[in-house]
Amino acid sequence: MANQFGSIEGKKVKGLADLGSRCPKKLWFRGNWDDKLFENAAAIIGSRRMTDYGRKVTEKMAAQLTAEGKTIVSGLVYGVDQTVHRACLEFGGRTVAVLGWGIGWDKLGDEEKKLIESIEKNGGLVISEWEGMRPALWTFAYRDRIMAAMASEIYVAEAAVKSGTMITVEWGLKLGREIWAVPGPVTSKVSEGTNKLISEGKARMWMPNQQASLSLRDKNNTQRDRSNTDIYISLQNETLTVDELARKLGKPVEEVGGQLSLLELSGEVEEREGKYSIINILE
Amino acid sequence: MLVKVRSVANVGLESVPIEVEVDVAEQGFPGFTIVGLASKAVEEARERVKTAIKNSGFDFPPKKITVNLAPADLPKVGVAYDLPIAIGILAASQQCPILNELDSIFYGELSLDGSLRATKGVLLVGLFARRCSIFVPVESANEAAVVDGIAVFPVRNLKQVVDHLTGAKKMEVLKHVEVEELVGEELVDFDLAEVAGQEMAKRALTIAAAGGHNLLMWGPPGTGKTMLARTLPGILPPLLPAEALEVTRVYSVSGMISAGETIIRRRPFRAPHHGVSAAGMIGGGSNPLPGEVSLAHLGVLFLDEMAEFPRTVLEALRQPMEDREVEIVRAAGHVRYPAGFSLVGAVNPCPCGYLGHPRRECKCTDKQIRKYRAKMSGPILDRIDLHVKVPAVETNKLTAESSSPSLSSREVREKVVGVRKIQEARLAGSGMYTNSQMRNREVRKYCKLDEQTEKLLKLAVEKWDLSARAYFRLIKVARTIADLAGKEDIDPSNMAEALQYRQTN
Repeated sequence: MANQFGSIEGKKVKGLADLGSRCPKKLWFRGNWDDKLFENAAAIIGSRRMTDYGRKVTEKMAAQLTAEGKTIVSGLVYGVDQTVHRACLEFGGRTVAVLGWGIGWDKLGDEEKKLIESIEKNGGLVISEWEGMRPALWTFAYRDRIMAAMASEIYVAEAAVKSGTMITVEWGLKLGREIWAVPGPVTSKVSEGTNKLISEGKARMWMPNQQASLSLRDKNNTQRDRSNTDIYISLQNETLTVDELARKLGKPVEEVGGQLSLLELSGEVEEREGKYSIINILE
Repeated sequence: MLVKVRSVANVGLESVPIEVEVDVAEQGFPGFTIVGLASKAVEEARERVKTAIKNSGFDFPPKKITVNLAPADLPKVGVAYDLPIAIGILAASQQCPILNELDSIFYGELSLDGSLRATKGVLLVGLFARRCSIFVPVESANEAAVVDGIAVFPVRNLKQVVDHLTGAKKMEVLKHVEVEELVGEELVDFDLAEVAGQEMAKRALTIAAAGGHNLLMWGPPGTGKTMLARTLPGILPPLLPAEALEVTRVYSVSGMISAGETIIRRRPFRAPHHGVSAAGMIGGGSNPLPGEVSLAHLGVLFLDEMAEFPRTVLEALRQPMEDREVEIVRAAGHVRYPAGFSLVGAVNPCPCGYLGHPRRECKCTDKQIRKYRAKMSGPILDRIDLHVKVPAVETNKLTAESSSPSLSSREVREKVVGVRKIQEARLAGSGMYTNSQMRNREVRKYCKLDEQTEKLLKLAVEKWDLSARAYFRLIKVARTIADLAGKEDIDPSNMAEALQYRQTN
C-alpha cells in the first residue's frame, strides 16, 4: 500500500464551508478526487449494533439512493456503515467513507481494508481530517460534523437515543440539512432514536419508493422461478427456518431444503443463521 | 523355596505374559522385596499382600522373601499382581500346594481383609489366556465370560483360592456367555421422536448415521443441540458382536466397566468438556490410557461448544479422524488404541450465543464474532461433511402439528442399516464401509453426476467460492442422500439437498 495520500483544503469541499470556524483546514484522502462526487451527496448512518431489520432497511435505502444517482456518504465502521458502503458498491454506485481515525492508520481489520480498496477501485473516496491518528472516542464524534456538512440529506437507518448517529443528526439540523429517518419497532432500543426524530418532527419518515425499485429491477433483470412460488409466497412477509417452511407447506424438510438451495443459487433468497428471507432490496 | 506363578500385564490393548517368581529363603535377614521395574502401586503390594495373608488366617513367613516380576525390563504398573504374589508366597511357604497347573493365570487386586477388588483389564486377560484357567476378582469376572475355551474362576477372597488349590473346596467355573446373545437386544437411550421440532437437524443426523459422516451443528444455546447429538448412537446400526468386544476391550483397560457387567452393548457416547487436555482427548499418561477418542470408538464423540476447545486439542483430533486409531508414544513405550468415532460438534453462532435469535439481542461486536469463527476454521472443519443450523424454536410453534410425524429412532435405524448395506456392497474389498470414507478416486468411480447435477454443483462452487475439498464432500453427502432415497445415481434434487449442509461462514 502506497503511503501517499492526496490532500485538499477543507473550504474547497462543497458544504464544508457551512461549518465556519469548525471547518477542517485540510482533508486527507485516498482515491481520485472528483468534485462531482459532492454535488448530490446523501449520508446514510446508523448504529454499529445493527438488527436484522436494520440491515434490510439499510440495504434497501442504499440501493434506492444509489439508483437516484446520489453519492452515498458513511463512516466505514461495522454495522450500518459497512452495510451502506457494500450495498452502494453492489449497485454500481460511488461512495465516500469519512473516517473516525487518521488516514493511513494501519491497524485496521481485514474487512475494513478490503472495503477501503473496493471503495477506491469504484471511483469513491476515503477521507479523513487527520493523518495516522489513532481512533479515540472523541475522534468519531468530532468527525461527524464533516459527514453532516458534506451531505445535503441525512438518512438514519437505526439509532439509539444516545448515540454517535444522533451527533451527526444534531449537526445536520444545525446546518439545515434535510433529515430522514426510518421508523422501527417501538420496542427496539436501536429504533428509539429514529422514532423520536420522527415523532418530534425533526426528521421526515423514510419509505421505500416503488418507482425507483421498478426501474432498478429492470436493470438487474431479476427473474423469478415459477416452480417455487409457494416457498416464495411464504417468505414474502417473514423470515423462516427450513423447519417452519416445511411445516407451513406440509412438505418434508428434505424437499423444501433442496428447493431453498436452488433459490439461494439463483440469488432469490438468502440464508442467515438458519433463517431464510427473500432478497427484496428492490421491492 | 522358589515358586513361579503366571500373570499378565496389559500394555495398551496388548497383553504380555508375566512370570511372578517368589522365593522364600531359609536363610537371610527377614524382609520382603519386589524387583522387576515395579511402580509405586506394585511396591505397595507388599503391605497389602502381607496384611491380606494374615487376615485370611494364614501365616506370613518371617523369612527373606524376594519377588521378581519377569521380564524384568518391562515397567509394571497397576495392582493386578497382588493375587499372584500372595499365592506365590503361600505356595513357597508350603501353605498351599505348589501349582501343578502351570496353565493358571492369577490376576487381581487384594484388599487388606483378603478379599479381591474389581480390577481393570480382565477381558484382556481372558482373551490372552487361551485354554487356560484364570483366577480373577468376582466383580470383574463377567468381562471374561464371553471368551470361549477358558475356565474363569471368579474369586471372592484369597482363602477361596487356597481351598480350591488344596482341593478342600473346589470353586465353580463361570458360565460362558456368547456375545451374540448379549448384543441382540436393541437399546435406545434417547429417542429421536422425543425431540420436538428440528426436523432439519434430524434429517442431518439421519444422513450422518447412514453415511458415517461427521456433523457440526450451529445454533444458539437451548435449541436442543446436545439432545439431538445424544440420539445419534440410537440410530446407528446396532453393534456387531465383534464390534461390541472391541469397545469392551477399551473400556476394560480403562476400568470403566461397572461391577458385574459383561460387555458394552450400546454404542458409546462421549461428551468431554472443553477444558479437556490433549492427553485426555487422545490418550496419555506414562503408562498410556485410552483418551476420549478411544472411549468413543465405534460410537459418538460429541464436542459441545466446540469453538471453546483449545486449538491444540482440536488439532490432535486430525490423526485419529484420518486413521481411525491413535498411536501414543511415551517413555515407557508406544501403544495403539482404536479411535473410529463419529464426530458431532455443536457451536454457538457467536460468543454470547444469541446472534440471529428471534427474541434476544446479541451483544457481540463484528470483530468478536469473526474471531470466534476463525477459531473453528482450518483442518478440523475440512473433515466435517455436514454443517447444519439449529435455530431457536418458538415454543408455540413446537406444539403446532408437525408436517410429517416424527420418526422414531428404531424406524430411522432400520433405514440406516439398509443404506449401510448398500454402501458395504459398493465398497466391498476396498477396506472402506461408508460413503464418508471414500477418497477422491472412489468418489469419481461411484458418484457419477449427470449433466444437470454437475452444472448445479459448478454453479454452487462458483457462487459460494467452495474449495476442492468442499466439492468432494458435497458429492459424498449427495451420494448418501441418494442411497437413502434408494437411487442408483445422484440426481439434481439430491445435490440440491446436499448443498443445504455445506459449510458457511
